[in-house]
Amino acid sequence: MEHTEEIREHMEAPKDMKKQIWKTFWILFVLTVLNIAIYLKFLGTDSPIKNYVFITLSFAKAYFIIGTFMHLKLERKSLRYLIILPVIFILYLLIIALTEGSSISFLKYIYK
Amino acid sequence: MSDTTSITSDPAKEPVEQKALWGGGRSPFTISYGKFMMWIFLLSDTFTFSALLIGYGFTRHSFEGNTVTPWPTPDQVFNHFPFLHGMHLPLIFVSVMTFILMFSSVTMGFAVEAGHRMAKKEVSFYMLLTILGGIGFLGCMAWEWAQFINGTEAGKMLADGSVFHGANLHLNEYGPTAFADLFFIVTGFHGVHVLSGIIINSTIYINVLKGTYEKRGHYEMVEKVGLYWHFVDLVWVFVFTFFYLI
Repeated sequence: MEHTEEIREHMEAPKDMKKQIWKTFWILFVLTVLNIAIYLKFLGTDSPIKNYVFITLSFAKAYFIIGTFMHLKLERKSLRYLIILPVIFILYLLIIALTEGSSISFLKYIYK
Repeated sequence: MSDTTSITSDPAKEPVEQKALWGGGRSPFTISYGKFMMWIFLLSDTFTFSALLIGYGFTRHSFEGNTVTPWPTPDQVFNHFPFLHGMHLPLIFVSVMTFILMFSSVTMGFAVEAGHRMAKKEVSFYMLLTILGGIGFLGCMAWEWAQFINGTEAGKMLADGSVFHGANLHLNEYGPTAFADLFFIVTGFHGVHVLSGIIINSTIYINVLKGTYEKRGHYEMVEKVGLYWHFVDLVWVFVFTFFYLI
């Protein structure tokens, strides 16, 4: 295969990859434990702040999974932006959909 | 610092002349075609899962003011643990599942790392651990589904006076029909991803044992399936957050 040589040269990973994976695992572990602790501590209470904390924690976990486990931190800048920037569309859809959902609830059950 | 030297020695960081980069004949992203296509596939999969989760958010928000059949709170539905019958243990079993999947992601990372060193034995060992982790997760998922479908002893009183236990696509004891439907589609779609991940990982595992990548001179296939497997873990982070925590 003529591409074999080319692929080889891009496959070099940091020497301390194993250490970094362990480090990331412990970070993810702590974040998940924190998630569970907050959940059990405030069980039964319904506050939007709690939900924002959970969402922030899940995005933090996503950063470590994509960055270290999937090596995106080590890729070229062009590839990084190619993968990360389209997420803007998801956030856009999310905001409209949730607003619309609340509006439906208001018209159906509260305003009548 | 070993950290900085290892990163600057990375080929993706090395400056390449713009003309050579985009002039054809090589990948402008300095990754192989297969790996790039895997990234594009994962991006499209991100959109699919986002659409499902946003659909969940939309439906849930549209039930905010409904007091007749309110949207159930997760701690009242997912509070079972194997062999501990009748105890109220919200989130514990799902947390165990999360840790299983997270750990199988770690072993996948080790398999990829061993592939860089061409260490066939280590790659096969860690691939096997990853497959076992995946099977473990899927087994837990099956138990979770069985629990959800069979329901509780109390059940729900229907309009005609009969009692309904558990859940199906038309009816469930927990809340609105849409709740069970969304649970089945979102966790089911993720479960199918785990299942296909196990099948793909097993294929690669067999190839590693046969020495296919040893002959090829690189273990890039392990890296590609590694990307997929980490993505499955990533999706679970969000399913966990939106289904079980919020």
